[in-house]
Amino acid sequence: MFRAILYQQWKWTRIMVGLATVAGFAVPIFSVRYATRNMEHGQAAAFLDGVQTWGVVYPALAGAVGVLIAIGVWTADHRGRHVYALTLPLPRWKYVLLRFAAGSVLVAGPIAGVTLGSVIAAASISLPAGLHAYPFALAVRFALATLVAFTMFFAVSSGTARTASIILGGLAALVVIQVLLAATGLETNILMPVLNAILTVPGPFAIFSGRWMLVDV
Amino acid sequence: MNEYAVEIGHLTYRVKKAFTLDDLSLRVPTGSIYGFLGPNGSGKTTTIRLILGLLRPASGSITVLGNAVPARAPAALARTGYVPEAPHLDPTLTVAEAIWFHSQFYATWDAAWAARLLDDFELDRQRLFGRLSKGQKGKLMMLLALAQRPELLVLDEPTDGLDPVVRRDMLSALLEYVSQRRATVFISSHLIHELERICDWVGVMDNGRLVADVEMERFKTGMKRLKVSHGPTHTEGLPFRVLTRSPTNGNGTEMWLVRDWAPEMAAAVAAAGGELQQVIDLDLEEGFVELLRSFRVPRTREAADV
Amino acid sequence: MFERLDSRSPTPLYAQIAERLRAAIVTRELSPAEALPSVRQLAASLRVNPATVVQAYRELEAEGFIEMRQGAGTFVREVSPVQRSAERDRQATELVRRLLADAARLGLSSRDVITAVERELGEKVR
Repeated sequence: MFRAILYQQWKWTRIMVGLATVAGFAVPIFSVRYATRNMEHGQAAAFLDGVQTWGVVYPALAGAVGVLIAIGVWTADHRGRHVYALTLPLPRWKYVLLRFAAGSVLVAGPIAGVTLGSVIAAASISLPAGLHAYPFALAVRFALATLVAFTMFFAVSSGTARTASIILGGLAALVVIQVLLAATGLETNILMPVLNAILTVPGPFAIFSGRWMLVDV
Repeated sequence: MNEYAVEIGHLTYRVKKAFTLDDLSLRVPTGSIYGFLGPNGSGKTTTIRLILGLLRPASGSITVLGNAVPARAPAALARTGYVPEAPHLDPTLTVAEAIWFHSQFYATWDAAWAARLLDDFELDRQRLFGRLSKGQKGKLMMLLALAQRPELLVLDEPTDGLDPVVRRDMLSALLEYVSQRRATVFISSHLIHELERICDWVGVMDNGRLVADVEMERFKTGMKRLKVSHGPTHTEGLPFRVLTRSPTNGNGTEMWLVRDWAPEMAAAVAAAGGELQQVIDLDLEEGFVELLRSFRVPRTREAADV
Repeated sequence: MFERLDSRSPTPLYAQIAERLRAAIVTRELSPAEALPSVRQLAASLRVNPATVVQAYRELEAEGFIEMRQGAGTFVREVSPVQRSAERDRQATELVRRLLADAARLGLSSRDVITAVERELGEKVR
């Protein structure tokens, strides 16, 4: 049963998983090359700036991979309003678990890409004095962020398409309201407190915030 | 093996504002082919969803192949094949992939028969499900349900809207299966003439109620139009049930629509002072239409008429 | 042989199937020892309930026209002259019965019917 579900999900998301894996592999390598070129006389600060610039790609990639795989996992079921899944001879919780496990396997691709890329990037350059590379720490953080994004959006999508749309629509509405308020010059800030709540510990998305540094002091 | 493949007892369920299934009881004998008729919106699909455990009843019991549903739905579903009204598979899988996917969930899967049905139905293994025609999708759903080798087959309008050749192929495969093993079939359809040939039981739904639940032969032969002259005013005492009565040409002759008729009841008409001039047979479709129409006619007509 | 099986007719389907088979056996369209289709095949090709086919076969077996051999199949039996003439008699009676019933419904007298029969046959019936 797991093989069947994994195969189906692979078919839905293989292009995206493939691209994300390649991207995950490429980002660390590009980041250290860019950082190397950024410094003119071996200044650590310039190197770190370069690494930090590329650092924003990691959380974005982690988020995108998590969200897209989660959505890809449930799209086929949503089309048929879950009737097919519900008439299969296994309890709902078991089915959901199988889908989650299959999604986790797919998520491993980009994670492996980032891991490999970080290790190679770290090994391929000579660091300025005082700086150290943390490829595994980065990879682990990426893995956790991806899994967090995947789990959250998996949960959102596992219900009816209507529930998922409502939640995502609600989030989108918050963003739009915030932008409108900012445009009109009003100081009220609804989005920030909400964002703060979820982006800082103990919020679920805390892992995304802050700097993502392959190389640091 | 249980005497009944499906047993529904005193089921209640509310369908939003449309209607309520109120105290619905229905039993499908094991090994029978049970035809489920009713106008659109009468509760057929809701009943089927309840049987499959897709909906939870407000009260009452449903037992499928000995399993309480929805509590033990997976156990029942492992031995039940379902052909839905709207094919609902992943459109990005090919026919071959869809079959393989389905086969992974059923221990009783018969791969050889699935292959044979694939050829009989002339389905292209490499075609994407989303690109199949309506008829091809229907045939594939039938293939999946049959190749599971289920004890119970639940079909919700499987051939409605499909062309005659496809319907023929699907029904032949279904009947071939049913003759091989003692499977029970629960089929709802609007194609009454098709059901007439194959069903040995019939259940009729109207507005959330089960208004008939009887052997097919008895339903067909029991529904008759009687041409009666000098018929009695009150028909409650008669052994058959008069559904409607209307005058024909004003000379005291009436046309009665009756159910539960048997030939020997002619004597009862005479005993009540009436003269039975003619007994007109109704086929299943006419019987079904007349039965439903009789529910829509205001009942006061019967008393006021004579 | 089984064209236009009428599910709407008051004659049950099993009787219609048995009727056609009986006629075919009596007229030797089906030869003795010939194999009849299995219940499964016939039910599927006619698209009728298998129980209907079983009932038809059982009736024919009881009348001595066929035999159902366990494991081997269903086969036509040799029809004796007595059986054959009895069957023809029965078929003729059925036809006439239907004719007379229809005639009565149309309000025709037996004289009307006989006149028409004689005319069609081109000879006197006496």
